[in-house]
Amino acid sequence: MAYHNQYRPPHYNSAPPDQGFLWNIFQRVDKDRSGAISDTELQQALSNGTWTPFNPVTVRSIISMFDRENKGGVNFNEFAGVWKYITDWQNIFRTYDRDNSGFIDKNELKQALTGFGYRLSDQFYNTLIEKFDRQKRGQVAFDDFIQCCIVLQRLTDVFRRYDTDQDGWIQVSYEQYLSMVFNVV
Amino acid sequence: MSYQYGQGYSGPGGNAPQWQQPPRAPYAGGPAAGQYGSPYGSAPPGQQYGGGSPYGSYGQPGPRAPYGGGQAPGGPYGGYGQPQGGPYRQQGSAGNVPPGVNPEAYQWFSTVDSDQSGYINAKELKQALMNFNNSSFNDETCIMMLNMFDKTKSGRVDVFGFSALWTFLQQWRAAFQQFDRDRSGSINTNEMHQALSQMGYNLSPQFIQELVNRYSVRGGTGVLQLDRFIQVCTQLQSMTQAFREKDTGMTGNVRMSYEDFLSSAITRLM
Repeated sequence: MAYHNQYRPPHYNSAPPDQGFLWNIFQRVDKDRSGAISDTELQQALSNGTWTPFNPVTVRSIISMFDRENKGGVNFNEFAGVWKYITDWQNIFRTYDRDNSGFIDKNELKQALTGFGYRLSDQFYNTLIEKFDRQKRGQVAFDDFIQCCIVLQRLTDVFRRYDTDQDGWIQVSYEQYLSMVFNVV
Repeated sequence: MSYQYGQGYSGPGGNAPQWQQPPRAPYAGGPAAGQYGSPYGSAPPGQQYGGGSPYGSYGQPGPRAPYGGGQAPGGPYGGYGQPQGGPYRQQGSAGNVPPGVNPEAYQWFSTVDSDQSGYINAKELKQALMNFNNSSFNDETCIMMLNMFDKTKSGRVDVFGFSALWTFLQQWRAAFQQFDRDRSGSINTNEMHQALSQMGYNLSPQFIQELVNRYSVRGGTGVLQLDRFIQVCTQLQSMTQAFREKDTGMTGNVRMSYEDFLSSAITRLM
């Protein structure tokens, strides 16, 4: 189920942080000193800018991207990738959260995704907000923003594979549809 | 000539809240409930659809005893970890149980909520749940179930959410045991084939084989543990519903645009 690192944030490439700095963080996050950071440990270490727990599905998505042996956590080497991944998303999020509210509203989301190359209808943005806005504020927080982008990218990739003539339409059977969506969840 | 997905591919009825109700055993929640207007968790499945249903796929003998003969959790077949705090099991004085909460689930809640926070999170749930081979539940299934029964999507449930989750689990667990014909504690490809066809799905052997391969434990022998079985069946149910909504002509084939596809999948994601 590893999606590897193809789902890196678009247009971003921050410099790798100092190893000592990372090691420090790793040790603080790895509360049970197991040598690997679990979902729960990462979730507790991350903040979405509000007082609510970080989206557990986002945490799982991120861990599974970097957890090479499917051990249910990330070791120190893998953690460097996790750190960079989250930092990159954070920088992107800040760029689009123009009013610094800690949330991205529909317009900001539209600007962000359009910037990534998506062309989506206004109505579809309503669907996205409705689905990913866990706090029911009509806008998305940092953690939900990441999850929204990951899901959109996975679904787009699988759609593209079936849309061989690239006209934006596919014809699929029931089983093909199931296969497509099972590859994403 | 209409295509058979099974599961009562028989009409709209998609307005039932698919995720908030336990599967009436494997005959699956949403659509059927919408169609027949059946109340939550009332009759066991066998009775619900009886033999004489107009839809072929219901006629087959489903698991008739989805409640597994009333086995208590922590019974010999596992499925749940042993409750650590044994004494809780005796306490359950009905007076403390909040209204609408299953008393047995209430006792479990007190035991599983190890940090006494009033909520059960993925970690606590994972620690409490076991497959029949004594492995703990995988993260995805725990998160999926928490999200199904937690409207705030914060990855935790209160006692009310847990009560619904508990019922959901009990029913799937009983169904699992029913389908596990050789009593191995896991579902092999053959058993999965039978299970899905009894649930009314019409899926090719190749597809089922791929499903089992993908969800079996790495390096394992191509069988599904309870957690993965629940995950696969729940997702299958949800995606079938998504497809069905698009397949208005009931042909088994759908032409959809990029945004149609995105919307159908995203609104059904857990």
